[in-house]
Amino acid sequence: MAKPHVREFLEHFVKPLVAGGELHVGRPIPADQLLAWEAQLAEASVETEAVDDARMAVLSTIVYRPPPLLFEADDLALCAGLHNALFLVHPRADVWTVTDKQRRRIVDTALSMVSQPLTQNRSRVLGRHALLHNLFELTRNDVTVSWWTGKAVFQGQSPPTRLTAWKGVRRVREDTSVVDFDELLAVPDTAPVVATLVRRSPLTQLLTSHPAAPPLHWEDATFLLRDAELARAIAYTLVPEGPPARITSGPARLAAAFEQMLERTPDEADVRAVAALLVHLGALFCFAELTLREVGAKSPLLSTVLAAEAAAQRPRGLATLFALPNALAQVDPRLAVPPGIEEVPALARRWSMHRGQTVELLGDAVVDAIVARLKRHLRAN
Amino acid sequence: MALEHVAQGQTRFFTPGIAPDPRGIVLGRFIMMTFATLEGAVSWFRLYSSEASLDELLASLTIVKGRTALGSREIVVQIPAVSSYAADRAARLCRLVGGATYTGTSKHYVKYRDDRSPYGYDAVDIGAMPAGTDFMVHGDEFAQGYVREGELPFQRLLFRLTIRKLPGGEQLDDEDRGELYLAVARGLADGIIRYLWRNRVEAEAGLFTPGTTSAFEDQARDRGYMLIRARGLPERILALFMGTPGIDVFKPAGANAAVAVGYAHPIDLGSCASVFPPETFHVFWPGDRVDVLPGPLTLSDIGDLTRVDLELEKVSEPGQHGAGPPPTIGVELKLAVSMGPPKRVVATLIATEHGPRLKRILFALPPVSLRGHRVAVTDRGILVIGSENLDVIPLGQLMYELTPGLLVPLGMEVVPRVTPEVLSRALGHAAGLVTVFTNDGMPFQVQESAFATLERRSLAKLEVDRADSISYVADTVGETRVVNDAVGRFALWGFPDVSDRKLLGSGDKK
Repeated sequence: MAKPHVREFLEHFVKPLVAGGELHVGRPIPADQLLAWEAQLAEASVETEAVDDARMAVLSTIVYRPPPLLFEADDLALCAGLHNALFLVHPRADVWTVTDKQRRRIVDTALSMVSQPLTQNRSRVLGRHALLHNLFELTRNDVTVSWWTGKAVFQGQSPPTRLTAWKGVRRVREDTSVVDFDELLAVPDTAPVVATLVRRSPLTQLLTSHPAAPPLHWEDATFLLRDAELARAIAYTLVPEGPPARITSGPARLAAAFEQMLERTPDEADVRAVAALLVHLGALFCFAELTLREVGAKSPLLSTVLAAEAAAQRPRGLATLFALPNALAQVDPRLAVPPGIEEVPALARRWSMHRGQTVELLGDAVVDAIVARLKRHLRAN
Repeated sequence: MALEHVAQGQTRFFTPGIAPDPRGIVLGRFIMMTFATLEGAVSWFRLYSSEASLDELLASLTIVKGRTALGSREIVVQIPAVSSYAADRAARLCRLVGGATYTGTSKHYVKYRDDRSPYGYDAVDIGAMPAGTDFMVHGDEFAQGYVREGELPFQRLLFRLTIRKLPGGEQLDDEDRGELYLAVARGLADGIIRYLWRNRVEAEAGLFTPGTTSAFEDQARDRGYMLIRARGLPERILALFMGTPGIDVFKPAGANAAVAVGYAHPIDLGSCASVFPPETFHVFWPGDRVDVLPGPLTLSDIGDLTRVDLELEKVSEPGQHGAGPPPTIGVELKLAVSMGPPKRVVATLIATEHGPRLKRILFALPPVSLRGHRVAVTDRGILVIGSENLDVIPLGQLMYELTPGLLVPLGMEVVPRVTPEVLSRALGHAAGLVTVFTNDGMPFQVQESAFATLERRSLAKLEVDRADSISYVADTVGETRVVNDAVGRFALWGFPDVSDRKLLGSGDKK
């Protein structure tokens, strides 16, 4: 059987991964084939250009002028690793002819493929994010066909027409269920591959998420906050319009990762950068309330998400998110207030209203606990 | 009775129906002013109309004669509290003419802010109102109930007032002589028309009989006169007409009224144009006479009214000429500088070459500050329509709304001045369309469906294909679905082992 050309892989896997469509998962890709494909990349300029155009379209809503992108060998390796991870949930990878040893080989190959060097280069970070921005949104349609004498399940495949013919006579019924990230890439075999993969694209981890996604390590991502444009795009994406729970879910996730970061031994500058971002997100919450009819009214957002009755359903990190500015005021007041907030008196009023309401709803104990943890990392100047 | 000074940021009040505005000033839905006499109220109208437009107050303006429990009578003027700026102006002028200003919504009105309490007052001891009292005002050391005795419509007050002689008012400069009306007795009409035509004065004339409400007033027919609208009347001719019995000269005051030259109405008629119905034209004569003519005035060019001499004996054969297309009838719509009060900005038209600047602003602003804004990209520019806070985009030509969907540059107005309905009909403007007048060309129309929410996605492709496309909306990334291809029963046979697996999380950064 002839080995496939890299053009087919780019056309049927990489491009749909970026631009959407049908993502075809075929035979697993061995390491030597990846090496061959890297050599063939020069012959697939049409396909790589199509992928780069799709990546530019993805980045066009994130940065004002996306950098020129070039699909390179490390991008190809990441995609090949993801392909192999997805093969592990292919129905053919779970039949009696496939041994555990063979599955282990595929996992190892996928891991070695996605273990590309970490990067802090802006273009490369943006390029990797454009490649993987859909990772947590991947779905698969599983069709269960039942007829009068039996049934069959087709995972990500179309049932053959012989099974669906004469629907009325054979009492054929087709049920389609959608499988998402949970069952595709968060299973024990694929989870380590995905964890390694997303660590290579910290921007993807900040901008998108899934409850079953690997946890964020702030140490890998703080360099993004030092780029003003990227930091702004991250902040604005994390505070979408919608009901209170949706508005706070993204920021709460980052605050939860910040809590974990404080338990390690991070660089002080990194702690300050993340704290500044979370404080800035607090300012955006205030900004959204500038149009409230009653100027001094309490924040409906805080009243909803921090209500004592809903304390058990609070997402992790939510209390830290809102109590952080109050805690920073005791540790390092320069970080406690977003710069320039005093220049908009209405915004400054909302800010102080939020701070007062936070203490009222969470109590001093929460603030004191954060103060104690922050003091371990921040030196007051 | 005690009044309490309102503090900054205070939101709870004892007085019902008052609330702080965005500046923190306590304001009800209405401003109520009390005057000891009707003259005081008229003086207030006179002052206010000279400073600002009364039109915006007329919708909810009431003038009431109120009687107190002790039997004294006062004139109470109630105006809508449009904003605290308008309320400040009303209060300042009210103090100037000896009145008192209050604010409230229905029954209880509390003293409006002054120097001693810049955020206003709140009445702390509001009890039940005495029976038969319609409304109550709360002052510094008193609370006064009023019973309504009658209402005086503003329109009646306006027509009751006598126009006043202005010292030196007959001397008109070139601008004032730009358009004048002449009321000419019927016997003089032919001579005056000929005289104006000979002197090349551009004028139109029409014969009018003032309207009357009485079926028995036959004399009204006799009072008919010829009304001539003259443009650019020379000073010497004006002086001649002013001194000629049977000719009266009037100066326009607003679109539907004219006042005798040398006189002025106590209230600036231009600021309350909405009082005059569009189908009438009011002529204010000296001596309390007001003629109501059918409007808008339909006048004919005096060139066609000059005497025609016929000599029927001389027969001339009409020449044969080919028929041409019927002449088009219409006037050219133009934009002229508006002298009216500024209108609320609802849109901005940004030149296409400034698109990247708009995109830069868009990417720098939090999405919440752009809530309610819509954008349509056309070959005439990028049109942004906003519900409020349009000042976050300091670009392009700001526009106001003449009628829903009809946008005109700020500071300009469409001439000839026709009603928005007529203008809409003439332009083919309808629901679902946005019609935009521009300073530099023909108006253009955009379908409402062409507008999209203003967000990063709307202009994301701006840099990519700037030349041809006028659709800057980013492609929607479709759903990505995994499809498992057929791989055969022995797909993994021969799959090699990894020989040189890299260490995880090496930390190498490139």
